[in-house]
Amino acid sequence: MAQYILRRVIAILPTLFLITIFGFLVMEAPAGDFVTSYIVRQYGHGNTEAARIEDELRSFFALDRPVYERFVTWLARFAQGDFGDSFDLRRPVRDILNDRIGLTLTISLATFAISWGIGIPLGVYSATHQYSKTDNFLTTVTFVGLGLPDFLLALAFLILGWQLTGEVLTGLQSVEFLDQPWSPAKLLDLIKHMVIPVCAVVITGTAWVMRVMRGNLLDQLGRDYIITLRAKGVPERVIIWKHAVKNSLHPLIAALGQTLAWLINGFTITSIVLELPTIQSVYLNATLQQDVYLAGTILILIGFLVLIGTLLADIILAWMDPRIRYE
Amino acid sequence: MVATGDTMPDSLIGPDFDAAETEVISVRRLMWLRFKRNRLALIGSIVLVLMYLAAVFAGFIGPYGLRETHEKFPASAPLLPRFIDDEGNFSLRPFVYAMESKVDTKTFKRVLTSNTEVKHYLHFFARGTPYTILGFIQTDIHLFHVNEPAKVFLLGTDKQGRDLFSRIFYGAQVSLTVGLVGVSLSLIFGTLIGIAGGYFGGLFDDVSQRVIEVLISFPQIPLWLALAALIPPTWTSAQRFFAISIVLSLVNWGGLSRQVRGMVYALREEDYVIAARYASASNWRIITKHLLPNTLSHILVIATISIPAMILGETALSFLGLGIQPPMTSWGLLLNQAQHTRVLIQQPWLLTPALFVVATIISFNFLGDGLRDAADPFAN
Repeated sequence: MAQYILRRVIAILPTLFLITIFGFLVMEAPAGDFVTSYIVRQYGHGNTEAARIEDELRSFFALDRPVYERFVTWLARFAQGDFGDSFDLRRPVRDILNDRIGLTLTISLATFAISWGIGIPLGVYSATHQYSKTDNFLTTVTFVGLGLPDFLLALAFLILGWQLTGEVLTGLQSVEFLDQPWSPAKLLDLIKHMVIPVCAVVITGTAWVMRVMRGNLLDQLGRDYIITLRAKGVPERVIIWKHAVKNSLHPLIAALGQTLAWLINGFTITSIVLELPTIQSVYLNATLQQDVYLAGTILILIGFLVLIGTLLADIILAWMDPRIRYE
Repeated sequence: MVATGDTMPDSLIGPDFDAAETEVISVRRLMWLRFKRNRLALIGSIVLVLMYLAAVFAGFIGPYGLRETHEKFPASAPLLPRFIDDEGNFSLRPFVYAMESKVDTKTFKRVLTSNTEVKHYLHFFARGTPYTILGFIQTDIHLFHVNEPAKVFLLGTDKQGRDLFSRIFYGAQVSLTVGLVGVSLSLIFGTLIGIAGGYFGGLFDDVSQRVIEVLISFPQIPLWLALAALIPPTWTSAQRFFAISIVLSLVNWGGLSRQVRGMVYALREEDYVIAARYASASNWRIITKHLLPNTLSHILVIATISIPAMILGETALSFLGLGIQPPMTSWGLLLNQAQHTRVLIQQPWLLTPALFVVATIISFNFLGDGLRDAADPFAN
């Protein structure tokens, strides 16, 4: 087992390195740099001063250095856990991410827990009652749910919320609570604001979990070992939950790889639309303004999380299923 | 009965066997039967056919042109045709009242008042704004039309006073094709690289696999945003349209290529491929005569399944202002105005293009599901 893990860890190292290069280059690639886009925006505000000190600005941000030099300096710092400074916000990228990671994870973990919590039992019910009225209904609902983009749902819920309560529930906190320490009232306010994004994202998520669960369980229920168990007289409840469900969790665990990254990059557009103070909403602005270190760090971290998640999923699968380990 | 070369003895088939009653079903027909059995897939394909027809005949269905503005009616709520007039009389032929927009001298707000004296009946198949279909048929006949000064806005107008209903069908032309163009591009890239990698193996396979691994490590949306930011802002809207399709397929082709490679890799050792190789068939012949036909149906299924993601990608990018630019329009761009919550709450009808997006995505999902069953007609 240890050998298997070690082999896999070594195998992802070159890919990790490629991801850093790719992430950095994608952010560097658009014409111009942060200073050009900054000057354009300053012009928009009627400030012509910025254009005059263009060169000074560029050397201030060290943008006059060649790309490879900046990449190497930045990579050396990145390896030590220092992701550089954001040009636009004039703060270390690390601090910006630290400020936002809490609320980002609160929403994504809540969404994750709810969609798996609902999706798995419904999927199991659907598979064990195949072609029943409820199953047909659930399958159709799943299809519709998969076709509903979360950001459009969020907009629809926003209108609905406004018509019901008369409040525009964007952001995650009402203005009066912004600089307050945590209190029960503030927590309640947070939960009230979480309803729209969580509901919007949960619908697609649940639909997906249900669909995967139903498909796999049906596949397992047709296998010979299930017939053997039934022939032995094992209670149906035990057959389904202890044997069939356990075996049909494989694809869901394999998808944990994507899930880990999803925790900080899922519902990006919903975040932007609802003005949620999450990592996702900072990413779009940083990309547009060519705030390379901020946008690049987020993109690279997402790539890393996918790889690490896939690795973890493989390790869990190997631990659950010895056939994979000795392949 | 004496068994001859190609008929089987009765004892093997059973006494009820009657050769005349059994017909041989071709694989193609078997696929169609499979597909037809899936009710949802049939519904999905009918909806899609209607959508694409509506996109082609956008000018005919919408009463107004793509860029036609009604200055007096900015951000107007839907003005629907009615059957019952203010006095309660029923009229089978729908009509509208002409609206006058006035500025209230006390509140300085724009108020619409209807002139209930004259009924303006809807004219069907009537002449209106000229338009072209498919770029060469010029005509001015609209499905329905109402004479000035009355207006009919089935889904309201935007802040420049453009009819949303008409624009949705013009937007469909872009939104429905961007996915097809994108998928065709990733089909070409993905299939070529997948087949080459799976069949020949070697260094090319290793390199392409590493590249794909890096590409699919990045989830779609962040990558779309980063790549769309690369498109120079000076490009025309037609150039942007193709650039967006390329961005969508760049993110997408890796997954497709992997699956094609996997299939080709498995088929490479099949008896008939080995037989072809011993018969000194060229690689080109093996690929085009044996490998492609055997993988094509699966490739097409994978492609169909990835269209909804592309349509959603275009919608998301245009919605954020990174995709299609005016004067072209698309569903995402129409939704762009709904991005600001204050605007959206005052003009909720701006969200109607979302219904079209959702209907299209769901229909493609249904279709893809039906095709997947049909591609493998021998499975249970």
